[in-house]
Amino acid sequence: MEVREIIARRAAQELNDGEVANLGFGMPTQAINYLPEGVNLIMHTENGAFGFGAKPTYESANSDISNAGSEPVTLLPGSACMSLATSLGAMRKGYIDVTILGALEVDQLGNIANWAVKRKNLWWPGIGGAMDLTYGTKKIIATLQHTDKAGQSKIKKKCTLPLTGKGCVKTIITEKAVFDVGESGLILREVYPGLTAEDIRAITEADFEVATPLKEMTL
Amino acid sequence: MKSKVISMDEALDVVKDGTTLMLGGFIDVGSPIKSIEKIVERKTKELTVIAVTPGMAGFGKSMLYKNHQVKELISTHVGTSVESTEAYLEGELLVKEFFPMGTWIEKVRAGAMGLGGILVPVGVGILDEEGLFPKLEHPKQTLEVNGVKCFVEPALTAEVAIIKAWRADTFGNLEFRGTSLNDNADIAMAGAYTIAEVNEIVPVGTIDPQNVGCSGVFINAVVQGYSVEEQDAIYRDVWLKKGKLEKA
Repeated sequence: MEVREIIARRAAQELNDGEVANLGFGMPTQAINYLPEGVNLIMHTENGAFGFGAKPTYESANSDISNAGSEPVTLLPGSACMSLATSLGAMRKGYIDVTILGALEVDQLGNIANWAVKRKNLWWPGIGGAMDLTYGTKKIIATLQHTDKAGQSKIKKKCTLPLTGKGCVKTIITEKAVFDVGESGLILREVYPGLTAEDIRAITEADFEVATPLKEMTL
Repeated sequence: MKSKVISMDEALDVVKDGTTLMLGGFIDVGSPIKSIEKIVERKTKELTVIAVTPGMAGFGKSMLYKNHQVKELISTHVGTSVESTEAYLEGELLVKEFFPMGTWIEKVRAGAMGLGGILVPVGVGILDEEGLFPKLEHPKQTLEVNGVKCFVEPALTAEVAIIKAWRADTFGNLEFRGTSLNDNADIAMAGAYTIAEVNEIVPVGTIDPQNVGCSGVFINAVVQGYSVEEQDAIYRDVWLKKGKLEKA
């Protein structure tokens, strides 16, 4: 199974029926394809709607119904459009129950960094709504590949990139492991079938405890 | 009621070199794309653009950066388009400060509503970190209210605002379609002179008062944009090309 699919499948298991969910670009949005039986979500899109659905056909696409990535979507019965200010206010005030976000880095304190990288020695900033989302949402699930292209751990002792949110991540999901962020640091909860805690220790910079029992991911 | 319908050329005479211009739309959906095309044609330059994002790659607002017409961007993102990213990295596009999206829209709303500014807790402890943005002109001022530390953020206004709605009556009362309200109604009030580009212009009395998303009182000029059919066709093709849609 491909890395992105593993992460999307596992992340989908964190979603509960009836939750108001905001899924970030990339792997998080794929979680919608793997929702557990009986789980229906109220999907929030930052540009201003609750209750959007799947993408339309070419022939029926409405040029005024889009998601936060400027992609065409549909609006389901019971959906609501709102202004951008109201949408961001809902995020900031905590009306979004759960978010799954991509991350460049996470660390053992539950910090997440996902909006700035350096290009040509300049910070290339793209916050968008990510900070409002991490400020207000109670259940934040960070998804990322376990290591970068150079094989370095993306789960750090301390994030090196500018933070999106401080101490806000509840669960970290990679293609190899699932961590909870507890009061005193990370707890390794699950591993990809066949891997051991030592395997994860070898590729993870952050400190972590190991849950007993340590479970395998079911995908 | 006086008609505010004028030609696009006449309306855009207020946009001059160096104008501070607020543009409605969210990544170029609900965006005044025909007016923007006209500004590109007219080669107006050194604009300060206030928009929630730079625009959609290869489309809409992005063409302003591609044609070197924008001096400064006040936004929440630098890189939603290749064109704005390149202009920024080449040192051509000045980004003195940028904001979380919620902060940006509330600064615009404060400007729209005649407020001095806002108190916002998002980003405290992160965006005021020493040395994060050396070019930052105004270091963040914080204030504690009800035990919560907040940034004091001044309101944002503009000399000219150009917004997009579905339809307008000749007085300028606007109705919006789908998710395209986004920031348009707030931007309308934040501009000193506001141009509303619409798909359809209808007689006064057509739009039910309870369905008016933005009163004509806040609008100075109404201009004809693409029709709904033309707009749907344009976006369907853009989305098809970007792989966001598939033909049957």
